[in-house]
Formats: sequence, C-alpha cells, structure tokens
Amino acid sequence: MKKLYSNKLVIASLILPGILVFVFAILAPICLSIYYGFTDYSGMGTATVIGFENYSKLMQDKIFWKSLWHSALLAIGFICIQHPLAMIVAAVLDKLQGKAEGFFRCVYFIPNVISVAVIAYLWKFIYNPDFGLLNNVLKALGYTGKINWFDSKIAIWSVLVVLIWHGFGWGMLIYYTGIKNIDPVLYEAAAIDGANNRQTFISVTLPQMKSVIQVNVTMAIISALKQMETVYLLTNGGPGNSTQFTANYLYQQAFKAFKYGYGNAISVVFILICIAVTILLNIIFSEKGKAV
Amino acid sequence: MRAEKRKLTPGRVLLWAVLIAVAVIQIFPLIWLLNFSLASSNEMFTSGLLIIPKKIQWGNYVKAFVDGHFLQYLKNSVLINGLAVIFVIIISIMAAYACHRMKWKLSSMVKTILLLGMMIPIHATLLPNYKIYNMLKLTDTIWALLIPYIAFSLPQAIFLMTSFLDSVPIELEEAAVVDGCGIYRILVQIVTPMLKPSIATVSIMTFLNNWNEFMMASTYLSSPKWKTLPFSVLEFTGQYSSNYAVQFAVMALTAAPAVIVYIILNKHITKGVAMGAVKG
Amino acid sequence: MMKKRFLTTILAITAAGTLLAGCGSKTAAPTAAPTEKATEKAADQTTEKAAEETTKQAEAAEDVTLKVFSNLPDRKNGQGLVEQMIIDEYMAQNPNVKITVEALDEEAYKTKFKAYAMDGMPDVVSIWGQPAFLDEVLNAGVLAELNTGDYADYKFVEGSLEGFKKDGKLYGLPRNTDVAVIYYNQKMFDDNGWKIPETYNELLTMASDIKAAGLIPMAMDGGDGWPMAIFMSDLVNKINGSTIETVANAVQNGDFTAPEFKEATELMRTAAEAGLFQDGYDSQDYGTAMNLFTNGQAAMFYMGSWESSMALNEDIPEEVRTNIRVFTMPVVEGGKGQKHDIAAWNGGGYAVSADSKVKEEAIKFLNYMYQPDKLSKYGWENGVGMSAQDQSQYMTGNETELQMQIVEIVNAATSLSGTPINDCGPSAFKACIESEIQSVTNGTSTVDGFLDVIGKACK
Repeated sequence: MKKLYSNKLVIASLILPGILVFVFAILAPICLSIYYGFTDYSGMGTATVIGFENYSKLMQDKIFWKSLWHSALLAIGFICIQHPLAMIVAAVLDKLQGKAEGFFRCVYFIPNVISVAVIAYLWKFIYNPDFGLLNNVLKALGYTGKINWFDSKIAIWSVLVVLIWHGFGWGMLIYYTGIKNIDPVLYEAAAIDGANNRQTFISVTLPQMKSVIQVNVTMAIISALKQMETVYLLTNGGPGNSTQFTANYLYQQAFKAFKYGYGNAISVVFILICIAVTILLNIIFSEKGKAV
Repeated sequence: MRAEKRKLTPGRVLLWAVLIAVAVIQIFPLIWLLNFSLASSNEMFTSGLLIIPKKIQWGNYVKAFVDGHFLQYLKNSVLINGLAVIFVIIISIMAAYACHRMKWKLSSMVKTILLLGMMIPIHATLLPNYKIYNMLKLTDTIWALLIPYIAFSLPQAIFLMTSFLDSVPIELEEAAVVDGCGIYRILVQIVTPMLKPSIATVSIMTFLNNWNEFMMASTYLSSPKWKTLPFSVLEFTGQYSSNYAVQFAVMALTAAPAVIVYIILNKHITKGVAMGAVKG
Repeated sequence: MMKKRFLTTILAITAAGTLLAGCGSKTAAPTAAPTEKATEKAADQTTEKAAEETTKQAEAAEDVTLKVFSNLPDRKNGQGLVEQMIIDEYMAQNPNVKITVEALDEEAYKTKFKAYAMDGMPDVVSIWGQPAFLDEVLNAGVLAELNTGDYADYKFVEGSLEGFKKDGKLYGLPRNTDVAVIYYNQKMFDDNGWKIPETYNELLTMASDIKAAGLIPMAMDGGDGWPMAIFMSDLVNKINGSTIETVANAVQNGDFTAPEFKEATELMRTAAEAGLFQDGYDSQDYGTAMNLFTNGQAAMFYMGSWESSMALNEDIPEEVRTNIRVFTMPVVEGGKGQKHDIAAWNGGGYAVSADSKVKEEAIKFLNYMYQPDKLSKYGWENGVGMSAQDQSQYMTGNETELQMQIVEIVNAATSLSGTPINDCGPSAFKACIESEIQSVTNGTSTVDGFLDVIGKACK
C-alpha cells in the first residue's frame, strides 16, 4: 500500500502535466519579463541591458501610481458598495421561497455570463451623454441637464458601476450560499429570544458569514488590481489616464509607446504587488481568524 | 417567520421593492439592447427609454449573423473553452491526487508552487507570452489561447479538487488496492466518479472565466480561423461604425448563447458556482 | 519646379509638395530633387529586377496566400470598399493567389501592428508615412525596400513619397492626400441662418448659437486623442503660418514652450470650455462622434478628408448624407496663417513586410493596387477624398459636391501644414500627447503642464 502511494514514477507522471503547464505558461513568461524589464527593448531590433533604469523610472511614473490608486478606489467601491448591497439582497432573497427565489437569483446572475466585450460596448451606449439610456432615464425622471458620465473626475466611478453591475450576481450568489449554509438552529434560537429581522441579521447572519466575507473581500481586492478588459474597451484608460489601470497601462506602454522593456518592468512590479497583497490579506484574515 | 409570508406587511412590501428594483437594474439594459437592435439606426436618437420601431428590422440580425461570422466564432468559442475545461479537469485531478494522497517529500511544496498561479495576474504575462508564442510559431493557433486559459484556470481547479479529495473515503481506495488495482485505475474508476460535483464546479468556473476572455484572443490571434465570439462585437464596431442598430444586434446575438445556456442550466450553474465559492 | 508632369487639379499640391515631407529630423532634409536622382539611379536596376521577376513568375504559378493587414474594417463603404474591390479583382486575375484580410480599427490596428512588428508581419500592411509610426519600424528593418524606379509612371504627387523614405530608400507608398476639414450640415446651417465662420472667434460664437438651438456644435472624436492633436496642429498652423519646422525643432529639443503651442492649446481649451464639442467628447470614439453628425445631432464634425465618402454611405440618412459640405479651420485673429494655409499631409499608405515569404507576389500586388486606374480611380469613384496620385483624368462629372469642395480647398491652398504634431515624434511622444491632450482640454491639467509633459516625452 505505502509502496504504491510512493511510487516515484507514478507521482512524476501525475504531476508532470501540471508542472509543465506552470513552467511554460507562467514561470517562463515571468522570467522573460524579468529579463526584458532590465532592457531598453522597444519591441523590435536589439535589446540592451540597462540595469534598473526602467524600475527607477517606474518609481517616478505618476501614471503608474495613479493606476494603482485607481485599483484601490475600485476595491473600496467593491467592498463598500457592491458587497453590502449583495449581502442585503442575498439575505432578502433567502426569505423568499419557491419560484420567486429561483427567478430573482437567475435574473441577478445573467449579466455575469455575458462577455465583457458586449458589456463594455453596451455601457458605452448607456453612458452616452446625448442619446444614452442613463441620461434618458434621468430625463424621464425630470432632470433636464446632460451628465457626462466619463468626465475625468467621475469616470472611475462610472467604470466601477459597470463592474458592480456585471459582477453583482456572482457576489450575491456567494453570500447567498453562505447564508444558506448557516445552521437554522441559530435562527430559531434568535427567534425564541424575540429578535427582529434586523437584529437577527446583525447578531446571527453577519458573524456566521465571516469566512465568506473574507473570501469575497479578498476576491474584490484582487479583481480590482487585475482589472483590464472592461477598462480597455470602455475607456482605454481615458480621458487623460483618469481610468488607467496597471494591466492596461503596461499594454499601452509596450504596444502603443513601443516601450516593451518598460512594459515588462511594469509587469514584474505588478506581479510582485499582486503576490504581496494576496499574502498580506491571508495573513490579516488568518490572524483575525485565530484571535476570534 | 414562515407565518409572515402570506401577510402583506410594510416590511414585505419593502422587501419586494428591493428585489424588483435590483432585478430591473440588472435586466433593463439588456431589454434596452434587444429593443434597439430591432430598430433602425437613426431611431436611437430619441429621448424615450424604449421605442416601438417603425418597422421591425430583422435584417439587423441577418447582417450580424452573416457578417459577424457568428457560427464560426461560436464554434471556436465552444471548442476552445470545451477543450480548456477538459484539460483543466484531467490535469487538476492528476496533480491534486499526486500532491494530496501520494506520499513524497516535496508534495506540499509543489502544491504551493502550483497554487501560486492564482496570485499571478493573467495580463502580466501578455507581453512575454506574445514573444514566446511568436518564437514557437504558436500565434494564430488554437494553442495560443488554450495554454493560457488552462494555465490560469488550473490553480483554482487544483485547489478545489484537493479540498474535495478529502471527502473521498480512503477506505474505498484501500479496498481497490487489495484487489490489485494500480494508481491509474484507482484514479479513473474510483476517485474521478467520486469527484463529480467538484468536476462540475471546476467546469463551470473554467468556462465562465474563459468565455469572457478576449484580451489574449485579440493579441494572439489574427485570422478569423480561431477567433472567438467577442470578436464579432469588436469587428462590427469598425465594420458597421455608422449603423448602430446592427451593432446592437451583434451584441445581442453574441450574448445570447451564454444567456440561454445559463437559463436552461440555471440550477446546476448556481450550485456549481456556490460550491466553488464556498470552498475557494 | 517640375510642374509639367502634373495636371491642373493638383497644381497647388505640387507647389507645396515639398512641404509635405515629414517633420521629424530624419525626414526633414530630403526635397524633391533627390527623388528624381533616386529614380534615375534605380532605373537600370529596374530592368534587371524585371527580368528576374518574369523568370520567377514562370516557375511560380503555384498557390500563394497573401495576408493583408488593413486599418479599414468597413469593407462596404469608402476606402475599405475600394481596397476590397481591388483585392477581389486581383484574385480574379490571378487565380493562384488567395488574399486574406485582417482589418482593425485605426487604434487597434496601430497597437497590433506594433505587436506584429516584433516578430513577423503579414505580407501587405497599412502604414503611415510619419515619424511617430515609421521611424522605429524602419530602424528595425521590418519593411521591404521598394524600387523607386517602379513608380515613375504612377503619377505620385510630388513630395508625397518623402514620408515613406529613409536614407533615400523607399519603403512604402502613400494612399491619400489628407486634409483636416470641418464637415458641416448645410441644410442645418441654412435653416438656422448660420454662416461659415471666417475667424476662430466667430466659430465659437456660432457654437453657442448652435448649442442654444439644442444641437451639438461640433462632433469630436476626442476619445482617440489624435483628432484633437490634428485640431491643435491646425491651430498652430493658423497661428504660425507654418508648422513643419516649428514642430520639428520642438520635438528635437523636447521643448514645446514656444508661444504658438501655448496659444493653440489655450484656443483649443477655450473651445472645449465654450462647448464647441459634444458632452463627453474626450471619452467618445470615432464611430460615436461620426454618428452624432451623420444622424443630425451635431452641426459639424472635425475629421480628415478621407471621410468624404460619407456622402455616398447609404447607412447615413439621405437628408444628412446629401447635405454634407466642408470648410477648413477658420483663421485665428492675429495669426500669421491665412485662410488657405491648410492642415494637409500624406499620411496613410501601404508597405510590404521585409520577411514576407511571398515578397515578390506581395510587391506585385502592391504595385497593382497603385496602378493609377486602381486605388486612385476607384477611390475617386467611391467618393473617397484625394489620393496621393494624380486623379485629374478620372474626373467623371459625377463627383459628389463634397469631393469637389475638397479638391477646391486643395487647389486654393497656399501652403500645407505637413504631418500633424502627434505624428512627428517617437511613439512614446505620440502615446503621451494623445492622452495628455484630453487632460488639457477638459481642464484636468494646465496648459503649461501639458506642454512640459509632452516635451519630456520626446526624450
């Protein structure tokens, strides 16, 4: 038995495909990025190694820091707007039974299965100040002005709205499952104590959902960091970098400004930041988990 | 609480109001999309929310279907995503089993390395991968998409598979070993069937993640041969830049397959996502 | 000058032809004279090459696939249609040749072109004979050298090839003579009693009238950045009377603090503040801006003359389509530039990839496209603006009024501005100015800050 489970050949054969994929699709490109990050490679011709020049430039690159700041804003937006909303709706949905429950759950999730390309273009139209849906809705409600939703001061929030709209079903579903998994005995106990809905939510549901909230918060922060496709199609970082995100910026630098080396330097820093943030979040949450 | 259900208290009214409001917000843009996709282009410039088209323009959909290479791109999307799912499942079961059940020194380290992929932002590999695929002449082939799709779905899949493996009773395997089964047979005949729910979850997660992907596709592909569904939309904004209604039609058409499949498999998908989320 | 080779319609261009040469330091030097010399030198090479080609053709009747990478995604209207017509014709005449087209929007095109430039390009590609696009590409040697002598009879407008040359060698051919124009809806103007503005201030005054009438004064593709950079170049030209040298110097020294740049930026910003452009212009793309105009929502549309095929595009409501007319940027009060000093250049064109496996066939196809009775003629017949070749013999009398207006504008031109500012520096500069110009017009950054940042991006 033990022999069978420690047969090196079998182990190797099982693990090899996974390792190969990892090496080829993740490790190799990262190594290449690290190399090109040290060069002035434009994308064509020859690459000259220039040491840490790209990195020191990056440290002073306002747009890069701005893009990280935008990720932070997005994460805050997710955590403070999308998640409370999703949790409340999930809690409300939990109170329903039968067909209505399934119907709403289904409706909420539909935007999630639509491809980003469609979503981004659709919202371009929705946001159009002259004939977009949103301003028409405002007009129908009696507001006469035209709002420019991609004004550089609010564009980032408009992007956030699209992302919240698109991802709402997913977040809601996770909370919903978390709520469903709460032991009904706890609710019964609360009911016996005479707690009303709100009290039950705060004293039973919320504490029980802790691990789910942690997972969701982690996911929100990570996805805010990794944001690219929606922004690429919706605003491409504009107007004037006011919705710039790291992934989009590195793409632009490499393929638009012909600074492939610099783009790779951004990639490397980007990866480091993502890893650091993930580890940090894990530490924070696991310590909290232990303390309670 | 159950008794409350039938009464129409202010609380319940509020509850329904919230649910319906959110539903309207989530679904109205799509209705709007459908509505204008059947109108003619200049009818878009109205201040009304929805319109009754002067004449229903089914032709928009014909154009979207034909010029958007709809069937071909749909086929590509399904094929690429399907293959990615299959590869991810096979590789993840193998890797999870090797790391979790088999006894070897480096098992936990290898597992950690494999899971590291979860932290790597997929778009950070866009630039170097483009270079690598070019060198290996993989650009504009199905592999240029399959490889990153598999690679970036794999860590999560391995993670899920490992956590589900715990629920597979080891006694079953031991019995099989006594009967003289090898590891491969155990994997295929005993473990895999027991992992069915997690396979479903992994399939759904992988599919949903990659179905939406288009950055890689637009960077690595050039000929229509392997282009995926999102390209219909991208190509149309240029091709029919002065015809909004057709652009709307192609968006609706592109969104349709996933939405229809979702509505049909609604319960299973919900369950799958929920399971993945709670475990992950 | 050698006017004898050129017919009346393009006299003006001929006169100003040398001005069309790019504005970067590398391309500023050559004038018309070296062209002629190169032509002669290349003449004897031509015969050799021709002989070589015939033998090659004899043995190579096998199937060839040519990949064309184009920036014209709309294959049913205007230039895209013309390109596709020629491709279809070529395939019909050469049954062994299959031509596949990958077409992307301008911005997406340029991005992907650069990705392609890294390793292996399609055989025939769209290019721009401008430093921002071409310098780095040519340095990397990814485009095939063309034989100047081949084009002696192609009637290219004098000077139009200059932007496509490096060290006297030719790497691409120009497709158009581009003029920056303001399209306007004549019926709308007449109905409301608006008159074509003579000065920039009049334009702004009219804008507030148009706004008061509930319409958008001018549709602007501000999301892409380059149309606004052209707008700025147009203004610099009107302020300074010429642009080429001023811009070349500024790019070379990385210093845009000269008063004409400052004034042009301020004027543009004033226009944006006064509401000349539509709400949210700085985030809207080409299609959106154009649709505002073609659907009668906007009275004017700032774009290049290549969009003159709008007049024949059946997707555009007839009422608008038949009423599209043009004028050029009005003069700036106190500026040196006169009414007929226009913003025009030879921009877009085609080239062949240096490492194409079917280079011979690709060049053959390229030359086929540029036969004077192909791109030029078909383009003209399909309402596209002026080509970079002599089109006078293809005048049919059926031209749209819009086309004739553009011809008149070019004929009347006293000077041409040359390459727009954003295309005069390295790609990093282009990427920078096209993004920063949004910030400066929408008021997020200051004029001085803008000029400082774009100057730094040149280095």
